[in-house]
Amino acid sequence: MRSAKAIFIKQARDLFRNRMMLIQFIIFPVMAFVMTEFVAKSTPEIPSSMFVTMFAAMFIGMTPLSMTAGVIAEDKEHNSLRFLVMAGVKPHEYLIGTCGFTFLACALVSLLFGLIGGFTSVELAKFVAVLILGSCASLLLGATIGLFSKNQQAATAISTPTFMLLAFSPMIAQFNTNVAKVSTIFYTQQVNTIVNNLTDGIMKPILIILANIAILLTLFIIVYRKNKIRGKR
Amino acid sequence: MIKMNNIVKRFDNHTVLSDVTFEVKEKEIFGLLGPSGAGKTTIINILTNQLKSDSGSHEINVIPFETGLMLDEDGLYVRLSCIENLDVFACIYGIPRKKSMEALKSVGLIGAEKKPVSALSRGMRQRLAFARAILHSPKILFLDEPTSGLDPGTAQGIHEIIQNLRKNGATIFLTTHNMEEAVKLCDKVALLHKGRIVEQGAPAEICERHHAFKTVPDLESVFIKMTGMDVQ
Ligand SMILES: Nc1ncnc2c1ncn2[C@@H]1O[C@H](COP(=O)(O)OP(=O)(O)O)[C@@H](O)[C@H]1O
Ligand SMILES: [Mg+2]
Repeated sequence: MRSAKAIFIKQARDLFRNRMMLIQFIIFPVMAFVMTEFVAKSTPEIPSSMFVTMFAAMFIGMTPLSMTAGVIAEDKEHNSLRFLVMAGVKPHEYLIGTCGFTFLACALVSLLFGLIGGFTSVELAKFVAVLILGSCASLLLGATIGLFSKNQQAATAISTPTFMLLAFSPMIAQFNTNVAKVSTIFYTQQVNTIVNNLTDGIMKPILIILANIAILLTLFIIVYRKNKIRGKR
Repeated sequence: MIKMNNIVKRFDNHTVLSDVTFEVKEKEIFGLLGPSGAGKTTIINILTNQLKSDSGSHEINVIPFETGLMLDEDGLYVRLSCIENLDVFACIYGIPRKKSMEALKSVGLIGAEKKPVSALSRGMRQRLAFARAILHSPKILFLDEPTSGLDPGTAQGIHEIIQNLRKNGATIFLTTHNMEEAVKLCDKVALLHKGRIVEQGAPAEICERHHAFKTVPDLESVFIKMTGMDVQ
């Protein structure tokens, strides 16, 4: 686990130097905070947690996915992965280190969203738990794209339309019933549903999210087997 | 220490290595010489198990942990500083962090330890890659063109480190297309041409053998004679 720890620390240091990535972590909670404080609170028709849930759901569809895909593709493109492998780092250690850090960062940001939302403690626990579950699905998808892509450009070409679809379809679904029918199968739609109705039952949405995770995990394992982590192009 | 027997390697029906055989003894500096495209990097990739050969065998008498590596691409983390790059590997190897500083010192990068890799000059970057290769005091060091594209002063510095490492008991396998470097550093060289070893032995021995070709034999003229091309 020494190797996973080394990569986890490297990842943490790197995030603060990588402006493009850092902004994806900062922009959503900042937007949520600003909109909640200055728009929602002064407009009685808008539910006070509307912006928090909206930006939190977008964050979950986008950030963990593009970060994981980007990091893995970059490590391949720059040949860094080769040196790790040659230093004896095992594939699972590499993935634990890389995804582990992204997971933790996403969990912290989820908690931040929850605090901005001003929920009761039960709601807060539910809210954060669902976002964390959603991050897992996004992480898996991001890692799959990263393993599949030869370089960062290829990763971006796949991950951008993917997260656009996942992050924005729940929003469009509010106005379009056809989109709504399709988007129910996406974990992002279900995360959206749960965080918007924290007092309702969550059994069915949770099952759909878990089904998403199961499918993405299978996909990940298939791609992982085909694209061994050797760090060779 | 390192052995390669009758190695053949093809890339899509194009034979890149044919019947490559050589041996490197312990504490030797072995130089693989050849123009670009000769197959030098491919040999390193096979020796370090990053690539499978089509036939033949090879062996290395140390565990993977005890090898150090400098490849044609450095794989450094560009946004991290010099010391942070080395710390990643110090942590992986489970060696104390002060080793990172020692390695930086030995390649003359003290003072630049906090600079991000993206702000380094080519020579500094290469020295950092070298520091990473020697961080865990490996018993075998593979260096793929360690001084290519460096100014003479920096190259000289790297030569001194290589000689010191050998004094401390390391075996060094390096590739180069610089004949002068090979004569200066290597105990033994092999000349690789289009995937074949056309000559091998101690540099002086090789020159001796080809004495008849030229009044003042040197390795470079032997090489040009053997390959029919100017390698520089
Ligand atoms: N992955 C690869 N696929 C196809 N051809 C390759 C590959 N790697 C190297 N080659 C070819 O093998 C030959 C030797 O390459 P290389 O070992 O890199 O030479 P050197 O390091 O001596 O410059 C070159 O003709 C190169 O084009
Ligand atoms: Mg080469």
